[in-house]
Amino acid sequence: MRLDVPTDFGFTEEHALLRGEARRFLGERLPMATLRRMLDAGHRFDHGLWKEIAELGWLGLVLPERFGGAGLGWLHLEILMEEMGRRLVPGPFLGSLLAGIALEQAGSESQQAQWLPAIAAGERVATLALVESGGGFDADTLTASADPVDGGYVLRGRKTHVVGGADASLVVAAFREPSGHTALFAIELPTSGVSIEDEVSIDPTRPTARIGFDGVRVGPEARLDGPGGAALAATQVRGCAALAAEQVGGAESVLLLVRDYAIDRKQFDRPIGFFQAVKHPIVDMMCGVELARSLACGAAAALDAGSPAAEVHARMAKALAGDVYASAVRKGVQIHGGYGFTWDCDVHFYFRRALWSRPMLGDAIHHRRHLATLLLDAD
Amino acid sequence: MSRPEEATESKENAEFRREVRAWIAANRPSDPGFKLPQSFLEVESDRQFEFLRDWQRKVYEAGYLGLDWPAEYGGHADPHKRQRIVSQELNRAGAPFLVNVIGLQWAGPTILAYGTEEQKQRFLKPILSGEEIWCQGFSEPGAGSDLASLQTSATPSGDGWVVAGHKVWTTLAHVAKWMILLARTDPAAHKYAGISYFLFPMEAPGVTVQPLVKMTGEGGFNQVIFDAAPMPKDALLGQLGQGWQIAMTTLTFERGAAEGSGGGSTAPTGESVRAVTSLARRMRRDGRSAAEDPVLRDRIAQGWIDEEALRLTAQRARVPGLNMDDRPLATRLMNKLVYSEFGQRITELACEVLGPDAGLWLGDASAPDKAEWPRMYMNSFGMTVGGGTSEIQRNIIGERVLGLPKTK
Repeated sequence: MRLDVPTDFGFTEEHALLRGEARRFLGERLPMATLRRMLDAGHRFDHGLWKEIAELGWLGLVLPERFGGAGLGWLHLEILMEEMGRRLVPGPFLGSLLAGIALEQAGSESQQAQWLPAIAAGERVATLALVESGGGFDADTLTASADPVDGGYVLRGRKTHVVGGADASLVVAAFREPSGHTALFAIELPTSGVSIEDEVSIDPTRPTARIGFDGVRVGPEARLDGPGGAALAATQVRGCAALAAEQVGGAESVLLLVRDYAIDRKQFDRPIGFFQAVKHPIVDMMCGVELARSLACGAAAALDAGSPAAEVHARMAKALAGDVYASAVRKGVQIHGGYGFTWDCDVHFYFRRALWSRPMLGDAIHHRRHLATLLLDAD
Repeated sequence: MSRPEEATESKENAEFRREVRAWIAANRPSDPGFKLPQSFLEVESDRQFEFLRDWQRKVYEAGYLGLDWPAEYGGHADPHKRQRIVSQELNRAGAPFLVNVIGLQWAGPTILAYGTEEQKQRFLKPILSGEEIWCQGFSEPGAGSDLASLQTSATPSGDGWVVAGHKVWTTLAHVAKWMILLARTDPAAHKYAGISYFLFPMEAPGVTVQPLVKMTGEGGFNQVIFDAAPMPKDALLGQLGQGWQIAMTTLTFERGAAEGSGGGSTAPTGESVRAVTSLARRMRRDGRSAAEDPVLRDRIAQGWIDEEALRLTAQRARVPGLNMDDRPLATRLMNKLVYSEFGQRITELACEVLGPDAGLWLGDASAPDKAEWPRMYMNSFGMTVGGGTSEIQRNIIGERVLGLPKTK
């Protein structure tokens, strides 16, 4: 297996501009007090914020320019996801991102032209329905079915953990065809026979839904043209790279919260960060964040270079970033002590995001199993 | 499984890498028929030492050492900074290590940074050729992690100095011609301010080198006693009382937090996990290949993840734009900690892959890989302790990078 991430990859001026813009915008627009107010008010979806994010070009960041996207690279997305992860940006962004990638991977020119400009402009909230109850993230575990009927299809099955499902007006979902192959369908919502039920997400900033397809009839144009299995795999590789970057950003925020608390909080007449039992776990947290960040950048660089090693790097990034984030929030609560156990302390929001995102698109156990096949069984 | 760097390397560097690889293949010494040291921590016998020194001289004469050092001191002033390529290829080929580690990687770069013109002219070239071996006199029986509490003294005497004291863990002292020495020159000053840095001649009278035996049972590791040992005035490196500052520079090189080595490298290249993968394919467990055991597969996959993360982090550390602007030092200062701890995890994992054969030691005829894995696992503690323990590294990173309150 080749592990040929470009040795000369790096951040350019353009990348720095994006990071600066994202950090400034999110810092002003989404301080924790604002986020808390939004959550307290029970708003699932902030239309104003969505419009602003669309205007910044983030909804089409990696989508082709000819379809209204910014046509930027995966290292740009890595940076944006880190910054969004730092601020726990609420809403259906991840769903929109995955749906856009899937459409770009599997859609014909006309299908892309039909959907992508509206997604990039924020006029249409799209999402990707991937997971099934009890199912995993490999295409061969799919049970939802698409049967050809009268020149169209009938779709049956249930999808869970669909990000922003209740706010979406377009869902891209994977179904198994009678041939056994996977096909992706783009289904406008609402559609007769599609039921959408809010889930109670552990992470209030990431509302999810269950979507049922109970004999839904769709026309042939709903079926995306390209091979569904390959497109789904490519979407997951890109999704893993992006979600890993978001996890790195979240872990970074927890690290900074803990660092500041260890300097401010005094016990035994000293800041608690003086004590090595507190100091050393914080350093380990930082090392973990930096190592995971390297893998997230490596996955993005491999995708930008069109390297066949992108799958290996994306799996490595998602595996390590998920574990690093989980470890960061665990230490994050513990080091904040009694305060860390309260709703008032911000760490639990990251804790929730970490718990939600660790298994999503495959956890470390899943990815290490695949990596073992790719790296131990191949020459 | 092909190597990471090559696919995207510049044409010039790729060509250079091929040239180095071919040279190593054609020139590497054959198995001498006696046990070779795994690292510079265990050079015991004269024949081991001569074998290794011959190899370094050969690499030097081929023009592959001191690539990044100035030409006037025996280097090549290579604008492409290609020493790293040589080090990677030597590691990958499993070639013998370059025995003058302390000279090439620690003393040399420090002399380049702080030495007078005369000192640079005098010392650097014989470091590269291996003609003059260096050792390091920093730690003492009572000064390990708390290095600044060191008590060895250098007292002005006549036109020079007289040294009295006791240094430990002095690897290579038994073959060294020179020592980078930290000694207290002002007992009345604050403990950091009273230390000076010397280039000490090991042939001086009053110097006794006594071997210490490592946990592997091997020697090559020493203690050095100074009984009124004289050194000349110009043995001083830098200014009087500047020793602590210069020592921190040496430790920065020793910990791999700065580039400047004359040759040899500790940067991760992905070799360890490849070797463990190959070991797992050769070993059997519960009636099948160890590489088919699901738990071992999971742990080896974690090894791949960890080593790739280390490799990319080392790569990122060299590109300023790739580091967090608010934490520019992080990737450099964490290098020693995360790499040495990884080395310990991966060699311990190799011992688990070995199964019962992990119980076979050097000299057993059927020990897999001649029992190098348990030996490496034991030696890995030299890396997590030497050059500042992992615990001290965490203090340094916590304080210097994260701004946490100082422990000392």
